[in-house]
Amino acid sequence: MPPLGKGALHVLGEGRGEAPADGRERWRSLAEREGGGAHPAEFPAGAAEAPEAFSRRGFFKILGASAALAGLGACRPPRDAIHPWVRQPEKAVVPGASLHYATALAVGGYGVGLLVTSTEGRPTKVEGNPDHPSSLGAAGAFEQAALLDLYDPRRLRGFTRRGQPLSHRAVLRSLVELAASHREDGGRRLRFLVGESASPLLADLRRRIQASYPGARFHVFESLARDEVRGGHRVAFGRPMEARLRLDRAAVILSLDDDFLALGPDRLRLARELAAGREPGPEMSRLYVAEAHLSLTGSSADHRLRMRPSEVLAFGRAVAHRLAEKHGLAALAGCGLAPAARAREAAAVADDLARARGRALVTAGQRQPAAVHALVAALNAALGAAGATVEYRPAPEDPAGAAPLRDLAAAIAAGQVDTLVVTASNPVYGAPADVDLGPLLARVPDGVYLTLRPDETSARSSFVVAASHPFESWGDLRATDGTASICQPLVAPLAESLSEPELLASFLGEGDRGGHALVKASWEARRPRPDFDAEWRRWLGRGLVPGTATAGEAPAVRLGAVAAAAGAVPAARQGLEASFVADAKVLDGRFAENAWMQELPDPVTKLTWDNAALLSPATARRLGVETGRRAELRLRGRRVEAPVYVVPGHADDVVTLPLGYGRTAAGPVGTNVGFSAGALRSGDAPWFEGGLALAPVGIRKHAFAATQEHFSMEGRDIALSFDRAQWSPEKVAHLRGALPTLLDPAGDPEEPYRWGMAIDLSRCTGCSACAVACQAENNVPVVGKAQVARSREMHWLRIDRYFAGDPENPEVLSQPVACVHCERAPCEYVCPVNATVHSDEGLNEMVYNRCVGTRYCSNNCPYKVRRFNFFEYNKEKPPTEKMLMNPDVTVRHRGVMEKCSYCVQRIERVRITARLEGRPIREGEVLTACQQACPAQAIVFGNLADPRSRVSAWHGSDRRYDLLHEVGTRPRTAYLVRIRNPNPELA
Amino acid sequence: MASWVLGEFQDDGALCGAARRLRELGHGRLDAHTPVPVPAVEEALGLGRSPVPLIALCGAILGGAGGYLMQWWMNAVDYSINVGGRPDHAAPAFIPVTFETTVLATAIFIVLGFFALAGFPRTHHPVFEVEAFRTASVDGLWLSAEVEPAAAEGVAEELRRLGARNVSRVEEEA
Amino acid sequence: MSAESAARVERVDPLEPVPVLAGRPGDRELNDALFEPVWAKTRRGWLALFAVAVPLAGLLFLAIAYTLATGIGVWGNNVPVGWAFDIINFVWWIGIGHAGTLISAILLLFQQRWRTSINRFAEAMTLFAVIQALIFPALHTGRPWFDFWLFPYPSTLGLWPNFKSPLIWDVFAVNTYFLVSLLFWYVGLIPDLAALRDTSRSRAARVAYGIFALGWRGSARHWRHHRIAYLLLAGISTPLVLSVHSVVSFDFAVSVLPGWHTTVFPPYFVAGAIFSGFAMVLTLVIPARKVFGFESVITGKHLDNMAKVMLATGLMVSYGYLVEHFNAWYSGDHLESFLFFTTRQRGPYAPVYWLMIFCNVVVPQVFWFRRARQSTWALWVAALLVNVGMWTERFVIIVTSLHRDFLPSSWAMYYPTWVDWSIYLGTLGFFGTLFLLFLRFVPAVSASEVKELRRELEHEAQAHAAH
Repeated sequence: MPPLGKGALHVLGEGRGEAPADGRERWRSLAEREGGGAHPAEFPAGAAEAPEAFSRRGFFKILGASAALAGLGACRPPRDAIHPWVRQPEKAVVPGASLHYATALAVGGYGVGLLVTSTEGRPTKVEGNPDHPSSLGAAGAFEQAALLDLYDPRRLRGFTRRGQPLSHRAVLRSLVELAASHREDGGRRLRFLVGESASPLLADLRRRIQASYPGARFHVFESLARDEVRGGHRVAFGRPMEARLRLDRAAVILSLDDDFLALGPDRLRLARELAAGREPGPEMSRLYVAEAHLSLTGSSADHRLRMRPSEVLAFGRAVAHRLAEKHGLAALAGCGLAPAARAREAAAVADDLARARGRALVTAGQRQPAAVHALVAALNAALGAAGATVEYRPAPEDPAGAAPLRDLAAAIAAGQVDTLVVTASNPVYGAPADVDLGPLLARVPDGVYLTLRPDETSARSSFVVAASHPFESWGDLRATDGTASICQPLVAPLAESLSEPELLASFLGEGDRGGHALVKASWEARRPRPDFDAEWRRWLGRGLVPGTATAGEAPAVRLGAVAAAAGAVPAARQGLEASFVADAKVLDGRFAENAWMQELPDPVTKLTWDNAALLSPATARRLGVETGRRAELRLRGRRVEAPVYVVPGHADDVVTLPLGYGRTAAGPVGTNVGFSAGALRSGDAPWFEGGLALAPVGIRKHAFAATQEHFSMEGRDIALSFDRAQWSPEKVAHLRGALPTLLDPAGDPEEPYRWGMAIDLSRCTGCSACAVACQAENNVPVVGKAQVARSREMHWLRIDRYFAGDPENPEVLSQPVACVHCERAPCEYVCPVNATVHSDEGLNEMVYNRCVGTRYCSNNCPYKVRRFNFFEYNKEKPPTEKMLMNPDVTVRHRGVMEKCSYCVQRIERVRITARLEGRPIREGEVLTACQQACPAQAIVFGNLADPRSRVSAWHGSDRRYDLLHEVGTRPRTAYLVRIRNPNPELA
Repeated sequence: MASWVLGEFQDDGALCGAARRLRELGHGRLDAHTPVPVPAVEEALGLGRSPVPLIALCGAILGGAGGYLMQWWMNAVDYSINVGGRPDHAAPAFIPVTFETTVLATAIFIVLGFFALAGFPRTHHPVFEVEAFRTASVDGLWLSAEVEPAAAEGVAEELRRLGARNVSRVEEEA
Repeated sequence: MSAESAARVERVDPLEPVPVLAGRPGDRELNDALFEPVWAKTRRGWLALFAVAVPLAGLLFLAIAYTLATGIGVWGNNVPVGWAFDIINFVWWIGIGHAGTLISAILLLFQQRWRTSINRFAEAMTLFAVIQALIFPALHTGRPWFDFWLFPYPSTLGLWPNFKSPLIWDVFAVNTYFLVSLLFWYVGLIPDLAALRDTSRSRAARVAYGIFALGWRGSARHWRHHRIAYLLLAGISTPLVLSVHSVVSFDFAVSVLPGWHTTVFPPYFVAGAIFSGFAMVLTLVIPARKVFGFESVITGKHLDNMAKVMLATGLMVSYGYLVEHFNAWYSGDHLESFLFFTTRQRGPYAPVYWLMIFCNVVVPQVFWFRRARQSTWALWVAALLVNVGMWTERFVIIVTSLHRDFLPSSWAMYYPTWVDWSIYLGTLGFFGTLFLLFLRFVPAVSASEVKELRRELEHEAQAHAAH
């Protein structure tokens, strides 16, 4: 790591992917030491073969060489000047010190602003950018897990055309030639298959390509497309719009199958806004969710209205009907329809919405058809929500109106395509079952595919281009409110690769300019000013471009069209329905190779390394299946075999099928995990469809690996929840305060700091962002399905989930549980070797190098938060993933116990800073990883010795209670009971 | 340079009688060898009470005090640390180990004391030279006298007179 | 002689008490009879048993090597069930190891004559059982190569063990118990070793036994120290025996876990230990006395008394179960009531629980009947069942309490792996091997003490005649 100047990282080396001279030498020697191929071979021996041919270990061994090259690569800063986050003192990169860099990441479409921690030039942690409107300082599971992809040893390296490896320059040359070959016929035989993107730069490039190749066509493919949303708004407003919810302004919220807490670019902000509105009190907001499967949003609702996806429209119309009839919203008369079922619920919801006029909000999920979105637009307009609790903005323009995938398939079949440039994510896997893209793609002479890893699509493409990871490449992204952020790379690409802008630019003959030049030029053109460079640095430093937010609109609704659209949809058919949902862990399959996400327990089912056909207890009884039973699903003659998992609270007569599993070319982590629900999915009914047949097959039970198997609290005071009406502080008075004791135990020392935590169950949605943050921060290993099945998962922070009440439609409670740092810790006094002891500041400390592993502490821990290294879980870690390790946290070895440390390393870092500045640690200065990631701000950490600290306030709250208080452990982590706000009319 | 005179007797009575007689005559250092303990003979030989119980008591005191002090010093003095909010000097918790160290020390003192007093190990002793003496551990009742070589013959005579069988003498080669 | 005296034992009139020593054999006879197994040629039955035991012992060491090489993940243990077969077997073996010292020490103090002919046997069993027990705490840790950190020695970490931890108490208790039992056994063995030395025919045997005999000459001086030393050892062993299993029970009683956190544990563990110990003695002694023809010294009287002891301790154990459940109900602690009245009877491990009740509560009741006590077959089967029952008791205590504790979210099942079973069966094999070697090379019945007993009986007979 060469010494670096202040603030900016200097430009190193000339040619892209090359190291400075000294770097080169080190590189060589390292390569030799690793016994790898000599630099600059992009393909170390064996790496070109299919990984399936090797055992996992053997595979990593072969990758060792290239990984070693990458290893040094990771220590090289990006070639072009990047700028640390401005909120921190600028300092040179010194060993041991870490810097934050602001960037943005899109998990499908819009961008979320992030701060990435870089330790000695290695990105090691992803956090949210507090200034960014879609993050507000939080980072979701997906954003954080993306970091693991950066270091994936299976990442594609370099470029191949028809099996021939190409150098970086060669690939640019051949792309230019490819482009030239399409000039004369105006690109009629040139097609692009791109993903949805809110990147101004990409839009720019597409427009320019379109201009210079009038005949070329762009096709947009997203397996989790938002077409229906835009379609609905096209009906309602005459043009495609995007709705941006403002839950902080809403008092009554009706979600029609909209899982806004789990999916979508705004889920972090919405979680925060919802939590803010859920502060117990008369002003507390109320959330209705109409949905089939038990979603995160549904589990946070005051009322879950179970219904099949196809019944949602009818329910919405029933609400509209009631509003029109009873509350004089005549505008809705046309869209309304007298209810055939759920009249009572519809009436109550409608009345509630009407009462809250101006502060009411209706929202529909992207899974619902256009008609529902149109209806919702009408409802919001009538309720005065438009412009108040929901803002509409024009959808990011599709370049020259992108054509759907089906047209592309037809064109290829007709042999009209010579060159197809694919930048969409894995279309061969994600495409609906009725569009068999694989063979077609293979027929395209030049199928250019830009991908991070070899996958189902790259296998069919003749020209595979390694993609730079977002943290390796320049770009820009808009947030849902239009705010633009510049994406700056954290490291030079670990291996030769191109970013999407660079790939597209090469069709304009600008491929060699590099992402930095492209994005900077495009913004200079947009915002020309003399001191642009200084301004540019400011943007990079803040992580967003000020003044790019666009105003929301409240366009007029074309009621007639809406009524027509609503009326045109046939009533829901009887019989079993298939419902396809994005998986909470692997999304649409793009995280299937991410071990963190695979092992993250599903927020609702707690399944890891698997998906399942989810259905309700009643339906399961009717079909004669039970959890673990394998079943054959038939839809339109397509068949899939899947294990059944019975979920209380699921709607009857509908089977929920999470997408993104059953990958066939996803390496050792993702291949053949779960079943591919996509194989049942049709282009014309991408989200739900009737006429599903389900029949049990065989007798052997499927072995699920769930981290939780019992969902009843057995009547114990564990995760407490009360209705606002019934709640009074006395109800938990017996669960806090001192207990009688015979002999007075040693008193606590008077310390300036007494660390403590508080978790508000009213705010927690169970989204699991904290769990991933903890895993990343504390080097928590992934142990694999077999070990999880033996209940040996290593997560320091787990999210317990309980059902309460009616099994058909239960209340769902999520409770994050990590070590609660008992002041009278049962784990400590039983340890024979003093390996777990107490710090003066109240931390329950685990001394790894003293631990012999008797596991007595775990047996005696009432919360069972201790984790034991039954094997050497870090042995097979590939060299690249070692670069991901947080250097502040010990990597534990076989035979020792481990557990949550309250992020002691963060406390110590802050303590050092404070000491250097000769001041005490400030309130809010120490953030634990889980607290920092939590979008709902349900976790508070701080100093209990400071009466003004937030954590002291929460500990003093009348909702505060101690988990297992009667055991007398005096936990330092307190919980705040959850308060629900159900509608008395529905009681 | 000593020598031993050995004689085997019919029964306890004869053995005790002989022992008493020889003792009166004050012939050298007498000892009886029997397959089972014969308290009468011990009296006859005028052996006092065994000091083993005293040794055991010392062991007990040392073990007990040592055990407790060890725990107190290690946990409360030398490396005092907050363990589960329990007092460093937790007397009740120290009882079991104190008890065990007491017992252990006592047992070791008893056994080593016994060995020392009995002069163990001494796997070879001149009396083993007498082949007939091997019955001493099976069913033979023997009397032995350690005497000056000069006096040996006289003692042998005496033994024969007292009805001893297999009277024999062993010289310890210097 | 053994044959006919054996016949006499079988034909005994139930009304007249069975003798503790059949016939009136002389010292020499006794000696020959009791040493016969040592001096005679190796028996076929012995070889057969040995051929079974040794491979099993081999399996033990293979399984241990595998565990050390890969980590205890090869066992079924997990979170929440951090302890399973490892500690179950530890407690089981330690329990078995109680009868020996108890028989020799307590019965010696109480002047119970019938002890003499079985104490050596039982003490040997104790030693070998404790050896098996010691394997588990040493092996069950995550990093066994650091086990020595449990001993208080000035380490480079500058840190001492935590004497508040019951595991440290265990370390002291179990090791003390092993050493003291060994010394006790050896001190009692010395006179017989001397006798072996003196009756040996080969020079090698003579030298070997001579070394272990330490030069014992049966001298009056030896005897007088030996007698008191042996008595004192018995004296301190008695509280030791009681303490060891109390300490073992603290591993559980001192924790906060429902089902472990119980004040009745120490006495009830001790009773259970004696119970299982006597069961194991019977299991071994009944075949052994047949094979080696000890019926004249280990008579029906001994079996009868041991059966009575088992009945008594069995009732104590049953009482322990009763008290546990009563306290769970009476304390009103919902966690305890849930464990004792739901998890154990109706949980996934309920069959083990009911097997425990059958073996430990129902089976011993047959010992109320004299006919059962005098039928060696009935005794042997009952003893076997009690051994099984006591193992299941430890399973119930350890696994069922752990697998469903405070927070239902962390409940999980435990399933043993083939390694768990190999180690368990392996210890049985290892124990058998050691025991067979003992039977082959050491007199299983203390000759010197039996001779002493014979004399006492004669004196009594004379005193009787005098009246």
